Amino acid sequence: MEKQTILVYLETAEDQVIKVSLEALNAARQLAAKTGKNVTAVLIGSAAAAGAAAAYGADEVVHVAADSYQADRYTEILTALYQRAEASALLLGSGRDGKELAARVAARVGAGCVTDAMALAEDGSWVRSVYGGSLQESVDAGVGAVVTVRSGTFGKPEETAGRTVPVTEETVENSELKAVIKEAVQELSESVNLEDAEVIVAGGRGMGSAENFQLVRDLAELLGGVVGASRPAIEDGWVPRNHQVGQSGKIVAPKLYIACGISGAMQHVSGMSGSGYIVAINKDEDAPIFDVADVGIVGNVMDILPLMIEEIKARKS
Amino acid sequence: MELLVCIKQVPDDSVSVGLNADGTPKLDEITPVVNAFDTYALEMAARFKEAHGGSVTVLTVGGEGAVPALRSCLAVGADRACRLADESACDPQGIAYLLAQASKKAGEQPFDVIFCGSESTDASSAQVGAQVAELLGLPVITNVLALEPKDGGISAKQETEDGYRVVEASCPCVVTIVKPDYEPRYPSIKSKMAARKMPITDLSLADVEADAGKFGPEAAKVRRVALSAPPQRQSGVKIQEKEAAEAVRRAMELMAGQKLI
Repeated sequence: MEKQTILVYLETAEDQVIKVSLEALNAARQLAAKTGKNVTAVLIGSAAAAGAAAAYGADEVVHVAADSYQADRYTEILTALYQRAEASALLLGSGRDGKELAARVAARVGAGCVTDAMALAEDGSWVRSVYGGSLQESVDAGVGAVVTVRSGTFGKPEETAGRTVPVTEETVENSELKAVIKEAVQELSESVNLEDAEVIVAGGRGMGSAENFQLVRDLAELLGGVVGASRPAIEDGWVPRNHQVGQSGKIVAPKLYIACGISGAMQHVSGMSGSGYIVAINKDEDAPIFDVADVGIVGNVMDILPLMIEEIKARKS
Repeated sequence: MELLVCIKQVPDDSVSVGLNADGTPKLDEITPVVNAFDTYALEMAARFKEAHGGSVTVLTVGGEGAVPALRSCLAVGADRACRLADESACDPQGIAYLLAQASKKAGEQPFDVIFCGSESTDASSAQVGAQVAELLGLPVITNVLALEPKDGGISAKQETEDGYRVVEASCPCVVTIVKPDYEPRYPSIKSKMAARKMPITDLSLADVEADAGKFGPEAAKVRRVALSAPPQRQSGVKIQEKEAAEAVRRAMELMAGQKLI
């Protein structure tokens, strides 16, 4: 019999479905629309998000009770559900845990695995970025593929408040853990919503120091925007890593993106070139960031940014 | 402990890759390098060995062209190098299968910890390390920032979305490595000279008892159907003024014209 079920694993934090999992649900709905399958949302641990899963378009919810996150346990649960449902696809959000679970479940069930899907093509293939974002490939992973969905690409599904769907309880037998998570420590308390931001002001190595980086924050605040960063600024510790835009961070598409002291490595540009309007400030007139900028200012960020901040304050008052 | 580091040779990731007329990636003019994440894995393994004893073996799958990558690893901390000779086009699970098979033959003794970079900078699938572990039935800890021996096994600091976890596993196990807060060491002239003279063990597919149905283009579950350049943006106005104030004034006018401020 033909496989009928698209499974989508919804990762939750404090009983809320995390954003990238909602994007995976949206991808599942797109796939369902193309193939005529049903979408079954999987909740592990708390079932509190079952209502949200229904509102965002799952046709059914499967819940498995479990203790706090253990990769081995979650791999085992998803593998069992995949096999029981004879899934035609399993979709997950592309966080660190999502990617590990996907790779492991795919290996266990013998399915193809696609990492960081950005779009579902007309022919049913998945589009993803390769070579640091300089090229895009479309891949066919066959029926039963396990796919992780890259954050900032599919967007949230449409919401129908009050929609309800059947919730099924399932159990999966526990095996002994091989790798044991002993402790989880939260270091980044502030959540950063780059994906939905209308304005992003981002800084790179050209900002020069953690102290100077404050100008990026000031300008972002003034414009009601969110602070972004390129990898060097993260590695130098000027800003926490959840602000990263690009290949190893978020894909963003704000109306306005202001790149300050960012040279424009392709790994960064591939994450922000979908922005509506790009302003770049860099002292190197040959910086590749200028190739994608609507307005490029050749100059020192430390001269330009304070003046820009003053000017915007003046215009506001 | 006996440590194995799986490495991949990739095109220099600071260079943008274009397309050939036939739709394949244009790689012939790009310098091959060891995947950055694998260099972090090798450095972490070398430091682990220096602190706790043992040896570091590097392993790759590839043709003769992959030998320089192994040599460069021998110059920055690896004691031994091993190449499984195969150039077939594999998907991540095909490569994981070959590495898993080769890991059983690459050392004189079984390995205690198998290190992999968390992902490659070219294909960025982030699957291979976890799949090597699955194929070997070993514990895996992904996205590791640091690790130390504990009770005959290891304890690792795993990077998460909002912080880190402490994860423990018995040996043998597999770890995948992300960038720690240090850089890999540079080779010295002396270490490069020494590396040139060190032997590299070649393994054949027969040596590792590779089942032809489990790797290569025919076995691939994920197949590329198209490769394309992403949409390119046009650049707009570039402002070069002697006075910063004038540059800012012009930029603000343009932004205001778009109703962005």
